[in-house]
Amino acid sequence: MPIYEQGYRRYQARAPLRQARFWPITREALRLVLSKRAFLGLLAGSFLPFVVRVVQIYVVTRFPEAGRLLPIDGRLFGEFLNQQVGFTILLAIFGASGLVANDLRTGAILAYLSRPLTRRDYVIGKLLVPLFLTLAVTLVPGLLLYASGLALAPELYLKWELAWIAPAIIAHSLAISLVVSLLTLAISSLSRSARVAGLGLFGLIVGLEMVRLVLQQGFRQKPAMLLSVQTNLRALGAALFGLADREVVMAWGWAALVLTLLSLACLAILRSRVRAVEIVT
Amino acid sequence: MADSEAPLVEFDGLAVSYGLVQALGGVTGAFFPGPTGLLGPNGAGKTTLLKTLLGFLQPDRGGMTAFGKDPTREPLEVRRRLGYMPEQDCHIPGMTAAAFVAFAGELSGLPRDEAISRAHEVLYYVGLGEARYRNVETYSTGMKQRVKLAQALVHDPELLLLDEPTNGLDPQGREEMLALIRDVATRRGMSLILCSHLLHDVERVCDQVIVLNQGQIARQGEVRELTGARHQVFDVRFKGDATAVLTDLKDMGADWREGDDGVRLFLPEGQGPETVFRVAQQCGVQVRHLRPGAETLEDVFLRALGHEIQD
Repeated sequence: MPIYEQGYRRYQARAPLRQARFWPITREALRLVLSKRAFLGLLAGSFLPFVVRVVQIYVVTRFPEAGRLLPIDGRLFGEFLNQQVGFTILLAIFGASGLVANDLRTGAILAYLSRPLTRRDYVIGKLLVPLFLTLAVTLVPGLLLYASGLALAPELYLKWELAWIAPAIIAHSLAISLVVSLLTLAISSLSRSARVAGLGLFGLIVGLEMVRLVLQQGFRQKPAMLLSVQTNLRALGAALFGLADREVVMAWGWAALVLTLLSLACLAILRSRVRAVEIVT
Repeated sequence: MADSEAPLVEFDGLAVSYGLVQALGGVTGAFFPGPTGLLGPNGAGKTTLLKTLLGFLQPDRGGMTAFGKDPTREPLEVRRRLGYMPEQDCHIPGMTAAAFVAFAGELSGLPRDEAISRAHEVLYYVGLGEARYRNVETYSTGMKQRVKLAQALVHDPELLLLDEPTNGLDPQGREEMLALIRDVATRRGMSLILCSHLLHDVERVCDQVIVLNQGQIARQGEVRELTGARHQVFDVRFKGDATAVLTDLKDMGADWREGDDGVRLFLPEGQGPETVFRVAQQCGVQVRHLRPGAETLEDVFLRALGHEIQD
């Protein structure tokens, strides 16, 4: 008896389409990413600065004189999140640069788009992957750090005038994660190779930062600040947490405008690249 | 074609283009329940027709309905009732076949538990039961084709779209795949559109056929009707130069083309072997072999494309 005689039953039930049609895409992609040990190692490593900051708070509460060297006011959270930007980029490169590129290479894009899914569902499903990963190393440790501050040094943090810290952490984490995630996904959609997309993302962020440094430090060109994704994010952080950052030489509004335009450009790239049919004329 | 049955898919004056290149030029037709072949050479517009049905492409003019719905307006409702097996590779790196097919089921709207259960069932059905926990990337071409079929079947679609399902398969794998597809259509009662340039595949599986060429429908109808005794077909071998015989036969309304062993003659109604013998005698050419034959789908295909005469 041929193997196909073993059985196949018709399935007549037709449940209404679920609202969150993108969720299985996110869940499966996260499962695949988190099944890699090296990636889990990187994710765990991203929490080292958090541990260092908790120790810093602990030390200052035990030895108040250390507070002169290691101030633990609201700026600590801004500096912490600025540090985490580097980790979000690494996580995006190693965990999300192949999200669309691999689908284009293996034809899986058709497996998605021939289903009852819109292109928007697909993009949202994929976008949530780097978003979760980057929020895991910005928002989660940021809020945990704030909670640690409240627990270890209530006399310092349990004040109404410092109640802005939690909303600022949320806002800055979301800004960092959204920009990095959109950039990762857009670059991923421009290539059929995860490696090329990863290198492209790294090159874009580091390359633009280098150009900014040369123009800003060497030629005193203030608007060069707007070239760098990282510095624009730092400008937002500086505004939210009241940081004095020497690299931030323009108003945060300009940085916000550049990041908004960058995000819109990423969405436009995704709109043109995520298609079931590649039209070559 | 069962005329009493309502068509699953209808298209009327459907024109689709990629920029300046017109892929479908105002075609009108229908796909009825049952297995239907979509034949045509590369660039004929077969895949374009399927992709329009899936709602991937917007028609320039004309319209298409599937299950009474317009794929461009209600693509999700149409797609949930379709199963699509694409021509090219289609898998998710790092996923086992079981996970991939279950995932495909879930994307089609099945609840997770049901998707997992059906994934195993369908993988057994296509003959991958023992290999279902292997990463799809490690599969042979034949196994990948079966996984593609499984992911198209998992949610039990009403209409299965198969784009060149035997591509890259060895003869045995091809026969097995065709047997599977035939089984899906006959014993499981699922309608399907088999898009292929391999005439044998369509002949093996389908009851109806649409022949596309250069964005136009060249022929359509039941395979049996198209390959039946519309013409009197004879495989003939002549001794010597048969050019004069063939020219005279052509003048009498016959067609011919080179066959595997001699010449395949298509005689019009009312003429038979005696005509061949008579003309050959008049031309002084000896008939060494004459055997009646049936017009195959290949003949229909070539005739539809305008290649019936000895170019």
